[in-house]
This record gives sequence, C-alpha cells and structure tokens, in this order.
Amino acid sequence: MKDLKKFTDEQIVQIVRTKNKELYLEIVTRYQEKLLRYAVYLTQDKTKAEDAVQESFIKAFINLNSFDLKKKFSSWIYRIVHNQVMNIINKHKKELPLLDNLDFDDGKDLELDLTKKEIQERVNKCINKISLMYSEPLSLYYIEEKSYEEISDILRLPVGTVGTRINRAKIMMKKICQNTK
Amino acid sequence: MSKHQINITKNVMTKIKTEQIKMKPKWYFLLGILSIFVAIVGLTIISIFLVSLVTFSLRSHGPMGIVRYQQIISNFPWWAPIIVIVGLITGVILLKKYDFSYKKNFLFIVLIFISAILLAGILIDVLGFDNFWIKKGPMRRFYQQYNGINNQERNNSGRGSRHF
Repeated sequence: MKDLKKFTDEQIVQIVRTKNKELYLEIVTRYQEKLLRYAVYLTQDKTKAEDAVQESFIKAFINLNSFDLKKKFSSWIYRIVHNQVMNIINKHKKELPLLDNLDFDDGKDLELDLTKKEIQERVNKCINKISLMYSEPLSLYYIEEKSYEEISDILRLPVGTVGTRINRAKIMMKKICQNTK
Repeated sequence: MSKHQINITKNVMTKIKTEQIKMKPKWYFLLGILSIFVAIVGLTIISIFLVSLVTFSLRSHGPMGIVRYQQIISNFPWWAPIIVIVGLITGVILLKKYDFSYKKNFLFIVLIFISAILLAGILIDVLGFDNFWIKKGPMRRFYQQYNGINNQERNNSGRGSRHF
C-alpha cells in the first residue's frame, strides 16, 4: 500500500470495508481540510465546524457499507457533513439573514460581467451575507469546485434547481458585494 | 488549522483502532432498503383496497345515494379514508428516502403515486373485481357491513346486487 495516492476514494473505501480498517486514515487525510473549510463556511464557527467534521467522519465510517461504490465518495461525505452542520444550525437556531426580497433578473449575462476568479474572490469576501439556501450551492461550486451534478447529489436537489440557486446567488453577490469592495 | 486537523485524525482513528466505533454490516442496510420497499408496496396495496372500499360504500347506497346523506354518514367507513391519507403520506415520506426522488420532479412522482392508487382503487370497484369479496371469502362480512341499504336485501337473498 505504498502508492495510496494512485487509488481512487472508492477503491480505498473498498479496501477499508473488506481488508484494512486503518486505511480510513487516508480518507480522513484527503478530506479533512476540504470538509473543515466547507463546515466553517456553513457554521461561521470553527469549533462547531470541527465537531461537525469529526462526527461526520465517525458516521461515515459506521455507515461505510451503505455507500454505493458506483457513486462518488466525495459527494457522499459532503452530504454527511451538510446534514451534520444542518443539525447543529437547527439546534442553535442561528439563522442567517434571508435576503429573498431582492429583485432578480434572469442572470444570463452575468458570466460576461464576472470572471470565475472574480466571483471566487467575491464569494470568499461576502458569501456569509447571503442566505444559506443560495450561498451553499455557490460555495460548493466556486470554493469547493464541485460540478452541478455533484452539488445536486450533496444537497439532494434537482440539477436545474442547483443552477437556478447559483445564478440567483451570483446576482445577490453582485448587488451586495458592490458595497463592500 | 493544522492543530485541529491532527486532533480530528487522531480522535477518529483512535476510535476505530480501539473499536469504540464499528462499521455496520452490509445486511443491515440491505434489510433497511427491503423494509422500505415492503412498506411502500404494503401501503400501496392497503390504500388501493381502502379506496375501492370507500367507492363501494358510496355507490352501494344506490341511485340518489347522495340525497340519503344521513344514511351515508352513519354507515360510511370513516376510518378508511383516514388510513388512506396516513398511508399516502407515509408512502411519500418513504419514497423520498430513495435516491431517485431528488433527481426527478418529486412533486410529479408524488402525484403519479397518489393518482395511481386512487385510480386503481376506483377501477377495482367500478369493474366489479370487489364482487368476489362481497359474495364469498373472508372479506364478505366486512364488505356487507358497508353496503348501506342493500344489507338487508342481500342478507335475505344471499346474493349481491350492483347499483349504478
């Protein structure tokens, strides 16, 4: 098992399930930083994020046999973290301000106005000012660099809805972040 | 951040090594999927049966049945539509547990599911498949209980009659 980096996540999961439990370390190593960043963004609280990620790794290990090897492991583990964080948020009743009363255009030409890098920078700066409903798919797309299909699997939303929410989030960002430049 | 990362790794791996946490076996999850499937099928069958019973009960009061409101009210199996509604809600919740539910339009899936149950229940009654239950079998008494005005007649003659 010298060249673990050559193995895909799914291959490692298969080995953890059948042969070597301790290889789960590789999974934790691969994902802890990404998941922590994602959880910190969602909770806006480092300690809660750490708890959520640790609990997610534990839950993922306990339920590893329920993972379908034909699917992407990353979407599965992100989904667990999402659920864990939502439990924490609901528990603490810490609601982010909803900005649903903003006027939207269809956002079709937005890509022309903002490059991906510009959007990434703006996302990092002022994403926490947008409601979680819109900012979560946006962060998964721009910060975690997930595809629409993966975001659909993580948030359990139709791909079309993911696209709509990302577009709306971009419009919100454009409006809100202009004032915080 | 690295300090916390080390702690997470250490905490998780210690729990695995000391067997404080154990992987649930594959059969546990297979059993879960099977239970959901059986529950959905069971709820569907029960709901179809009860919808056909409700249709039967309404129809069995014969022509101008609606006018005989009191009679329908007193004889109507109110528990049946309640169980149908509870069954449908539980069925929808169980359907949501399947992976496909968010990939498709879930509202559409729910509407198809409910329509199929209502249609099947009504068709069973309208096409007369429930006549078998009325005439013989363990459900005979059960059906006759909700057969409104025809009860007396059927008990005397020993055969069912249909009113449209």
